[in-house]
Amino acid sequence: MNKLSPEERVTLRDSVHKLLTDECSENAVRTTMETSSGFDPVLWRKLAEMGIVGLIIDQPQGGAGVGPVELEMVMEEVGAALLCSPLLASGVLAAELLKALQVEDVANRLLPTIASGECIATAVLTGQSGCWTQSGVTVTAEGDASSNEWYLTGSASYVLHGQNANLLLVAANTPDGAGMFVVDAGADGIDVASLPTFDHTLRLASISFDNVAAERINTQRPVWDAVRQALDVTLVALAGEQAGAAEHCLTATVDYAKTRIQFGRAIGSFQAIKHMAADLLLETESALSAARNAAVCLADDASNATEAISLAAFACADTFVTTAATNVQMYGGIAFTWEHPAHLYLRRARANAQLFGSSDFYRERFMQQLGA
Amino acid sequence: MLTETNIADKNLRDEVRSWLSENWTQPKAAALTQHQPMWGASDELKSWLAEVVAARWAVPRWPSEWFGRDLSNAQAKIIEAEFAAVKAPGTGQDRTNLWANTLLAGGTEVLKSKLIGPLLKSEINMCLLYSEPNAGSDLAGIRTRADRQGDHYVVNGQKVWTSGAMTADYGMLIARTDWDVPKHLGISYFYCPMKQEGIDVRPLRQITNESHFNEVFITDAHIPVDNMLGNFNQGWKMLQTALAYERLIMGEGARGPRGGNKKAKDEEILIALAREAGVLDEPKLRQQIAQAIAYKKLNALNSARGKADIAQGESSSLMSLGKLAMSRILHEEARLRTEILGPASMLEGSDYPRAEDANFLTFNAYLTSIGGGTDQIQRNIIGERVLGLPKEPEVDKKIPFRDVRAS
Repeated sequence: MNKLSPEERVTLRDSVHKLLTDECSENAVRTTMETSSGFDPVLWRKLAEMGIVGLIIDQPQGGAGVGPVELEMVMEEVGAALLCSPLLASGVLAAELLKALQVEDVANRLLPTIASGECIATAVLTGQSGCWTQSGVTVTAEGDASSNEWYLTGSASYVLHGQNANLLLVAANTPDGAGMFVVDAGADGIDVASLPTFDHTLRLASISFDNVAAERINTQRPVWDAVRQALDVTLVALAGEQAGAAEHCLTATVDYAKTRIQFGRAIGSFQAIKHMAADLLLETESALSAARNAAVCLADDASNATEAISLAAFACADTFVTTAATNVQMYGGIAFTWEHPAHLYLRRARANAQLFGSSDFYRERFMQQLGA
Repeated sequence: MLTETNIADKNLRDEVRSWLSENWTQPKAAALTQHQPMWGASDELKSWLAEVVAARWAVPRWPSEWFGRDLSNAQAKIIEAEFAAVKAPGTGQDRTNLWANTLLAGGTEVLKSKLIGPLLKSEINMCLLYSEPNAGSDLAGIRTRADRQGDHYVVNGQKVWTSGAMTADYGMLIARTDWDVPKHLGISYFYCPMKQEGIDVRPLRQITNESHFNEVFITDAHIPVDNMLGNFNQGWKMLQTALAYERLIMGEGARGPRGGNKKAKDEEILIALAREAGVLDEPKLRQQIAQAIAYKKLNALNSARGKADIAQGESSSLMSLGKLAMSRILHEEARLRTEILGPASMLEGSDYPRAEDANFLTFNAYLTSIGGGTDQIQRNIIGERVLGLPKEPEVDKKIPFRDVRAS
């Protein structure tokens, strides 16, 4: 892993911040979110050139080769700017899954094109249940291990940026347990349908497989261990996104409360507003602490890393929802309009809180990790 | 390479180390690990502190005329590290002794000569005479009065929430000395002698059925004019200095709950209690316990992040959040202890220790959410000083105090 110095981290953060300030304004987000792909290919290329798409992909495979700490930091900026992109699907979830499967020739073949942004990959893990555990897998693989010819059948759902992906990593049930398969998204027998999303900055798809020829990744690891590792890294990234977005929301609302005058004074001088802001500051700072701690624990391979990730998963998800929702109330009528950005963040918050498992799911996992 | 600083540091370390090895003897160390009285210091501690003060280790950052050595912070830390290594108390009082620091900052020469030595040696006991029944959150609204008569002030009024008042020799007192100016501008700050007629200390029975605090009734008590700290009518400023020392000390003392790493083997108390009560498998309760533990861990993470920011020379607003966080943690833990117990929480007495704990903690949580400024005042402070939101208009800020409306 390529460890950045504190100065290099600041430089990385500043350059991402500048790119997103320039190219991912609220207006740009509103334009992009109404396109069918839901992302801006020009900005995507710039993110790739800057090394953000391949951030956690090792250097020999064309990535920046940095770790969870830098990933979390970049995602704080991504969350604040409400970036619309397949970054989480391709550069994080799919990339980490390929790393976690530990099959060298497959990783060497696929990761460089993911890092460069030419190939958009995603992972197909669940069906209509939206359950991100092994029991949620709905695709079945039939074939035989000796010839290594496999065919996928079944319906998957909630596939992140499934409609934009060129490459699918598909979890499927095989006669010998869960398997992981690579398939070109344009292969015969695949039908991709965009799902209408309440968060317009999000892209989800359902994908059906009808006897689709696929390559099995013959990993030595239990497949779901690799999936879990990829989901945990993705959760750290998501936690950073949520914490960064929540912080941004609160800052914007506090700024508004300083300038909006009612009853002859700034509404932020009323304790009714001030106390909401103070309570939210405790939440947003706690979320930042949780997300950054999870990243550090993961980078250090600490024994309590998964516990720290569970904590970050529910703390950051709940904080973003609470902050974005309370902010609408603090703004008042202006935030009930489509033109105001508050609802964009609340939509993102509500969606993020469901991706890869609910807060309740991670609170329960946290309890189990504490020995209860 | 040895610079001059290196050499000076090494000499200092050698000096303190050899002094400790000669003077911090096994019998003294053993005597000080014995039970210490709740208020005031044991004779063994006093005699040890007298040695530390005489050797000028007590307040190394202070000027030499006041028991100090004029040392830098870095050098003082060398001394503190050597004392800590052998678990000897008494140094670093230039950071931790609220009474002596406040006195040094604002006291008259007469008062400093009289009391700084005894304060550093813990020969005298102190208390705080700030809050009043009608001046809690609005501390500048105090109505205890001090009127000058010749070479002393005559004090009348009532103070409350005073811990240690029974044994105190002096109390740091704020009293109104001018009623014709706005409230912040007519207050003076005193060292008030407690052992005199006119000071009546009565223990206050708390909702927890304990008595840690007192009410202090003051009737024609006398304070020599030399006992005023800071200038006449500028006691509010002096109070801010004293409160800043207090917060500094509390901040250093406030360790909060430890992070999960260190106590990995100890099961979280709520989990242990739920297991014992046979309700650990209830999904709703599990969710709530997880959330309560999360609050605690998040507060520890915030605190660690704040300290790291400060260590890097950045200011940190995270520390101001600790009190709010701790209030929520304590109230929530107590609520869950009650929920785990169910009807057994109606009982009390030594036969029902779980109920005793749950009920005590439920009530004692208010000590944190009200004491030292209510959570609501803390939210104002966070809103105004951290987030920069404007203050509420204050209707009593600019009018003479005698015209301010009182309850």
